Amino acid sequence: MFAYYFKLSWLGIKRTPMLTALMVIAIGLGIGVSMTVLTVNYLMGKDPIPAKSHQLYHLQLNAMGKGPEWNYTADGYPWQVTYQDVQNVHRSEIPTRKTRSLATGVTIVPDNTIPNETGATPFLESTRAIDRDFFAMFDINFIFGESWNKQVDIDAENVAVINKELNEKLFKGENSIGKQIKLNAILYTIVGVIENWQPTPRFYDLNNGNFNSTERLFIPFSLLPIHELPSWGNNQGWKTETVNTYQDKLRSETTWNQYWVEITSRDQLAQYKEWLAGYISQQKKLGRFQSKKAGATLRNVNQWMEYNHVVSNDSSILVGLSFMFLAVCIINTIGLLLAKFLKRAPEVGVRRALGASRKAIFIQHLVDVTLIGLMGGLLGLALGQLGLVGVKNLYSSYSQLVYMDTSLIIAAIAISLGSSLLAGLYPAWLICRTNPSVYLKTQ
Amino acid sequence: MLIMNNIKKVFRTDLVETHALRDFSLEVNEGEFVAVTGPSGSGKTTFLNVTGMLETFDGGCYTLDGKDVSQLNDNQRSKLRNEKIGFIFQSFNLIPDLNLFDNVDVPLRYRGFSAKERKSRIENALERVGLSARMKHLPSQLSGGQQQRVAIARALAGEPRFLLADEPTGNLDSLMARQVMQLLEEINQQGTTIIMVTHDAELARRAQRNIHIVDGQVSDYQQLQPVLDLAEA
Ligand SMILES: Nc1ncnc2c1ncn2[C@@H]1O[C@H](COP(=O)(O)OP(=O)(O)OP(=O)(O)O)[C@@H](O)[C@H]1O
Ligand SMILES: [Mg+2]
Repeated sequence: MFAYYFKLSWLGIKRTPMLTALMVIAIGLGIGVSMTVLTVNYLMGKDPIPAKSHQLYHLQLNAMGKGPEWNYTADGYPWQVTYQDVQNVHRSEIPTRKTRSLATGVTIVPDNTIPNETGATPFLESTRAIDRDFFAMFDINFIFGESWNKQVDIDAENVAVINKELNEKLFKGENSIGKQIKLNAILYTIVGVIENWQPTPRFYDLNNGNFNSTERLFIPFSLLPIHELPSWGNNQGWKTETVNTYQDKLRSETTWNQYWVEITSRDQLAQYKEWLAGYISQQKKLGRFQSKKAGATLRNVNQWMEYNHVVSNDSSILVGLSFMFLAVCIINTIGLLLAKFLKRAPEVGVRRALGASRKAIFIQHLVDVTLIGLMGGLLGLALGQLGLVGVKNLYSSYSQLVYMDTSLIIAAIAISLGSSLLAGLYPAWLICRTNPSVYLKTQ
Repeated sequence: MLIMNNIKKVFRTDLVETHALRDFSLEVNEGEFVAVTGPSGSGKTTFLNVTGMLETFDGGCYTLDGKDVSQLNDNQRSKLRNEKIGFIFQSFNLIPDLNLFDNVDVPLRYRGFSAKERKSRIENALERVGLSARMKHLPSQLSGGQQQRVAIARALAGEPRFLLADEPTGNLDSLMARQVMQLLEEINQQGTTIIMVTHDAELARRAQRNIHIVDGQVSDYQQLQPVLDLAEA
């Protein structure tokens, strides 16, 4: 029977192409706009690493002295940590994995054995200084080689991991393990090449642009004091200190490093928290951590994103507005459907006379609406893609956000079917209730 | 077998109440051909719509084939209408964007027949009205008389026990009207009970039995004609 209803709907669409087009456009516009906004919002708040987000923790320490508090965050904790704390905390063997992290940068001087090739001129490159565990913690896959060994995190060595894209640029995509690159006039040996890795949002560093591109080059954090790697990210301080040399900065209360741990069980977490408490009380004796709010907090990936307002209130309001727009489109569609269905009332009268029950008429019209909703949904998806291209052009930092995954496409179709069914309920109910005899007298 | 006892039908609008049927009583037996006449506005169409359960009624008792119609819900009434009643209208009421085949198909779809069964029934019905060669034509490509014959085929395809016709020849010229009348007579001879509203006295006379409705009532209500009694005896 459904096949029959679809056939009738198709005939109906052919009979009233303009009216149908108007409805499809109304639904399509509503879906298009709300999907654009929803996509941006959804991808902003999406769990970037669902398999592990609950076991990766970002550490915050409040090492401040007595006096004014840190007012920039809700709980009074700075976003980042000091170098001395990062170094001290790194001694704990409790976490399954752990990594220090700093956004830095270098000048890459391409190999002059391949003269006059693209990229033969030196260029600046954002770089991340991290520990060996970083790649395993964040589930980053290697194409060639692997991360440096554990000893490098202690002794420091001039080694580097690059991503596929940079490997294309520097080595034409071939296996570059063992090859050397010159960073700031120092030779580094490539030990690994990773897949291009772009978590959205870029949760591992929310201090320097939530939706920025990830780095293409990774070097050991242990090189920091040796090469005096500069911070390319934010540096936040609270204490008046003279910081003239790099050594001064390493000893200072400036927060400019980040720290992540991987913890796999509740017990381990409790143990680690206890360890941190111990560390803080020890530091208190040394005159640090004097504030009323002094302490340590661990936030997992989703908590960390929420804490940083990755999904801004503005964009949530925008979602609300766009759905109101969808509602307006639906109300319009109700009007158009009424027009279409009432035009068909005489035919409904005939069908009733020939034995169609109210239920049959109702279902027939809902099938009709479903077909229109489906077409509207497809149009909406197309418009949504256009909208996303627009968003991309307006906000370059959102460029990583501009795609719809399967769940969003399914959502778009479901929303459009749902809303068109909603729009169709009243007209379909009305038409199936009308007295057929009224329409049978004249035609 | 159709029995109406003191049927009442009132149309209410904001301003007026129209008593379209009042104390309307009638009995129609299996196999009869009843012609219904009466002045315009007397309630003929209303009677036919109540008979076909397209219209509810406000009082009295109506039994169709032993079933008390007022006790049935919409689904049951639709099913009963679909299986037992065929409608023919003055204005044909074919569905304009379905071809003849699909038009005749409509009641069979609601009946739930298999595709094969529907096909053979449609072909037979169109054959019977002499239009089997035009199955793929649209109604607009036919003359009025041909359209009415399609409507008759549509009414017949489900092999209903009752055929209700509201001025089936009203929009046709006299030649076409006679052809349609002839077709109805044939159908009646094969056992289908027919109730036909008409303004044409000549056509009415060809029916077995005449009912005259005036002001929502049967003006000369009478039991079966003696002729028929004799025939049955
Ligand atoms: N839907 C309706 N609403 C209000 N009044 C109605 C309605 N249908 C019919 N009537 C009234 O009921 C009365 C009977 O109408 P009906 O259509 O049965 O007459 P009829 O005998 O078929 O007339 P005609 O020969 O002109 O077709 C009329 O007075 C008409 O105005
Ligand atoms: Mg009438």
